[in-house]
Amino acid sequence: MEASTAPEAHAAPQRPDSAAARAVDLVKVYGSGDAAVRALDGISADFEAARFTAIMGPSGSGKSTLLHCMAGLDAPTSGHVFIGDVDITTLSEKKLTQLRRDRIGFVFQAYNLVPTLTASENITLPMDIAGRTPDTEWVDGVIDTIGLRDRLKHRPTELSGGQQQRVAAARALASRPQIIFADEPTGNLDSRASGELLAFLRRAVDEFGQTIVMVTHDATAASFADRVVFLSDGQAVDELLGPTAETVLDRMKSLGAP
Amino acid sequence: MLRASLRGLLQHKVRLILTALAVVLGVGFVSGTYILTDSINNAFEGLFKQISAGVAVEVQGTPKFTASGPDQQFGNGAQRVPASLLDAIQAVPGVRDAEGTLNGYAQLVDAHGKAVTTGGAPTLGVSWISDPSLSSVKIRQGRAPAAAGEIAIDAGTATKFGFHVGQPVTVLVEGPSIHATIVGIFGFGSANNLLGATLVAFVPEQAQTALKGGGEWDSVSVAADPGVSPTVLRDRIQQVLPSGFEARTGAEQAQANSDDLKKNLSFITVALLIFAGIALFVGAFIIFNTFATLVAQRTRELALLRALGASGAQVRRSVLLEATVFGSIASLVGLGFGYLMAIGLHGAFSAFGATLPSGSLQVVPRTIIVSIVVGLGTTLAASAIPAFRAAGVPPIAALRDPEPGAYRPSGRRTVFGLLVTAAGVALLLLGLFGHPSNAGAIVGFGAAVVFFGVTILSPLFARPVARVLGAPLRTVAGRLARENAMRNPKRTSSTAAALMIGLAMVAFVAIFASSIKASARQTLEQTLKADYIVTTSQFTGFSQDVATQLRATGAFSAVSPIRQGSFGYRGQSQSLQGVDPATLPEVVHVPMSSGSVADLGDGDVLVYSKTASDNHWTVGQSIPVVFASTGAQRLRIVGIYTDNRLLGSFLVSLPTFERNYTQQLDQVVLAKIAPGVSSEQAKRAVQSVTKKFPNVQVQDQAEFRESQASQIDRVLALFIVLLVFSIIIAVFGIMNTLFLSIYERTREIGLLRAVGMARRQVRSMVRWEGTIVAVFGALLGTVVGVFFGWAMVHALKDSGVTIFSVPIGLLVTFVVLAGLAGLLAGLVPAWIAGRRNVLEAIATE
Repeated sequence: MEASTAPEAHAAPQRPDSAAARAVDLVKVYGSGDAAVRALDGISADFEAARFTAIMGPSGSGKSTLLHCMAGLDAPTSGHVFIGDVDITTLSEKKLTQLRRDRIGFVFQAYNLVPTLTASENITLPMDIAGRTPDTEWVDGVIDTIGLRDRLKHRPTELSGGQQQRVAAARALASRPQIIFADEPTGNLDSRASGELLAFLRRAVDEFGQTIVMVTHDATAASFADRVVFLSDGQAVDELLGPTAETVLDRMKSLGAP
Repeated sequence: MLRASLRGLLQHKVRLILTALAVVLGVGFVSGTYILTDSINNAFEGLFKQISAGVAVEVQGTPKFTASGPDQQFGNGAQRVPASLLDAIQAVPGVRDAEGTLNGYAQLVDAHGKAVTTGGAPTLGVSWISDPSLSSVKIRQGRAPAAAGEIAIDAGTATKFGFHVGQPVTVLVEGPSIHATIVGIFGFGSANNLLGATLVAFVPEQAQTALKGGGEWDSVSVAADPGVSPTVLRDRIQQVLPSGFEARTGAEQAQANSDDLKKNLSFITVALLIFAGIALFVGAFIIFNTFATLVAQRTRELALLRALGASGAQVRRSVLLEATVFGSIASLVGLGFGYLMAIGLHGAFSAFGATLPSGSLQVVPRTIIVSIVVGLGTTLAASAIPAFRAAGVPPIAALRDPEPGAYRPSGRRTVFGLLVTAAGVALLLLGLFGHPSNAGAIVGFGAAVVFFGVTILSPLFARPVARVLGAPLRTVAGRLARENAMRNPKRTSSTAAALMIGLAMVAFVAIFASSIKASARQTLEQTLKADYIVTTSQFTGFSQDVATQLRATGAFSAVSPIRQGSFGYRGQSQSLQGVDPATLPEVVHVPMSSGSVADLGDGDVLVYSKTASDNHWTVGQSIPVVFASTGAQRLRIVGIYTDNRLLGSFLVSLPTFERNYTQQLDQVVLAKIAPGVSSEQAKRAVQSVTKKFPNVQVQDQAEFRESQASQIDRVLALFIVLLVFSIIIAVFGIMNTLFLSIYERTREIGLLRAVGMARRQVRSMVRWEGTIVAVFGALLGTVVGVFFGWAMVHALKDSGVTIFSVPIGLLVTFVVLAGLAGLLAGLVPAWIAGRRNVLEAIATE
């Protein structure tokens, strides 16, 4: 797959002072007994602030499970997840919900938007849920960046898939979360729309200092990241700094089929 | 195909159970009604057989005219049996014994000086039958009355009011009260009393005076000598009877009695079945909704079946098969529920004082067949449209995304809905104003068609109404709820339609009751000039002595009694009032178009203007009438009055009344305070009299109005209780739709949760959606109900309902309660939605 807006080689990443999010000895077991599946098998990983990190791995490597546990959507069997200094595995359901609302942004592969709300209502949804007034200047900036100002009054069904994903990304950014988790955000998009979305995420990191963690199985998508973490059988097996599509593909081949 | 059908049915258990409840409640209502009334009929049939077991022949007068409706209490015009005839019957060979029976008014006064009252059943005095084989009762305690001053009473009354053998009591009768001693307590076979009536038995001599027999008997019971068959004896006795009397065997009499009772009870059966029908009708909407959405959700699955070669007809049959299985099971469960309901209702009757003869509950084949036919029929009718829709699913749908398109109001729907509504309104108005023979059925059918029409139209305004209703909701949860309610207007509408029907009926009866109250109030204000109104709480009539003693106090310028009786005109029963022409104008405003009340002499009649014009009667004309005790008579019309709201359509003077009726009870006495007498003095005078007559109540105008209003309110409350069934079913429907909503929006709810919506907020969102749907339905129902009420009130203008009164406060309360019901319906779905796993939303399949 060719990315129309392939990234320029970015500045060599530096080791950050602190991690925006950390996984420590995460284990996630589905089922029990003979049917038990260890989706995460004692994985530890740091995700630096103001960086764009991609998580890659073959199907069943546990990359989505890792993302879900990191984002507080799923509870690990054991181990810890830190968002900033907070160990979210100790939080109550209520606190966890608040944390997701106030400090985490999401972009999913599909079904990112509430169909009854307009684009602009979807963007401010987390703030509305929290009962906070959005920072208008910031939100305007985000909207201009995604380039959908003329479509704000439209409902999701009136937007293309790419536009919907950009609205979802804008929603993730609008509340200025500590970290954004994206789960295969380009999975349902054509290459052009993918490129637009990834370029937007890239800008969020470069211009706004946003931290993004993205699960993908697309090498081109991964090449937009500062760093790629490779998973296999529930463990972090490798990583790559300043990736390009080619280096990512090479690394994937060494791990087996993507 | 069969296996696929049944699998499909079992996939959505909760929803099916809720839908099944709609059928179960409706069918339960139907079968419960049948089981209860069959059991009552059966028990009474047994009782009547038991009672007349020893009676070989029964002799009584033949009815002179047909009594109908409320006039029945005043008799059917059968002539009484004179004492001479009793002697003649006793002389017939083969007659072992013959005794006269006599019924009349007699009311016991309890130890606290209060007259015993029933829940509407009569308080009767009877003549004691000394021959045990002729008697319907058996002494349980003490002995039979043997002399004047001794009485026996029924066991039910004894237990309920604490009377015992040896107790001296006062008995209120038509004439002066009787002081007597209870010497015996009797029962009717196994029953303690007869449908809640209280009975006092006197020896025949005292019965004749106390019950104003005038030497005549209501009927004569005859026992046969051994070896003489009842039919032979009947024919022999018939030979000695003059015309106007007939002899029947005991068995024939028992059958006639039980047929009469069945006829009277059929009113209850019909009333209960109407409410059951409403409940089923509401249930049909829920079933339709469920099957329509099941089909919509399984579009892909059905399309796959089509792609694999199933024909449209096969798919349709598969849906109908599901409905059949579902409807049969639900109907059977409903039958069981009806059995429980019959037990409950039986208990409720007892609680109201009408102890029914005990007997097993009767589940006859008719009940089972009707239950299943009705339950299955409703289910199949409601699932017909979804089944045809299913057959129309193209195979290609298997490959398409099932995302439903946005709803657009269609012009065809508007036109069709308007036509159906107009047809319903036309039928309704025809039934109400066109005076067709089967008005009730036409009105009911018209109402149902109106409901269909409004349901068809309602998606057009579901959106705007939901928008307005949801406008005050400022929270995210509230706003999303509003949007969700607007998202699928068809579903919102058909869900709301179920509640609409219940609310329309409730609003209708509330408006009707309110209009009757307002009209009655106006009638009293415009026509009643009396300061005091004397009645009994049960309108049973009371002794003339009340009026006599009120007059004697000297506190009143006018004390005017009104008596009520029936007569035959051209074979039909009519009711008339006996009035005192001298005092009536002082206590009642009688607007006359010709003649005057004072002209009313013996043998004269005053007629209501409309009755006169309908019959082309004019003043001076004599009309042929038939009285029960005096036979054919003529009454001369001496005046025409123009207001029948208080006095009915025929007025005769008291002397005329006394000549033609055996029973002389005052129904109402109206009294006007004499000039110069203070209301305090008048009140004391009234109290001095009522102390002696515990059964009467004396009210001033305000109290009388109040008691009239509270009676109407009681009936209103009963109707609303019966309608609650339909509303419960509708609430199940809302719950059902909410389950569907949250199921369809699993991913959306997950997304909301992922981006930080708290469980509490999700729950609130679902509850608000339920509330909006409910209030929408309630508003539609109220509008329809106001229309029904308006039409009904206008149709009854001639019957005295002259004011159309809308109890706005009450209607608002109903809508608010409906909203609360919607919120309640949302509780469980909301809880489930809140518990949903966030991951389900984002899990890619």
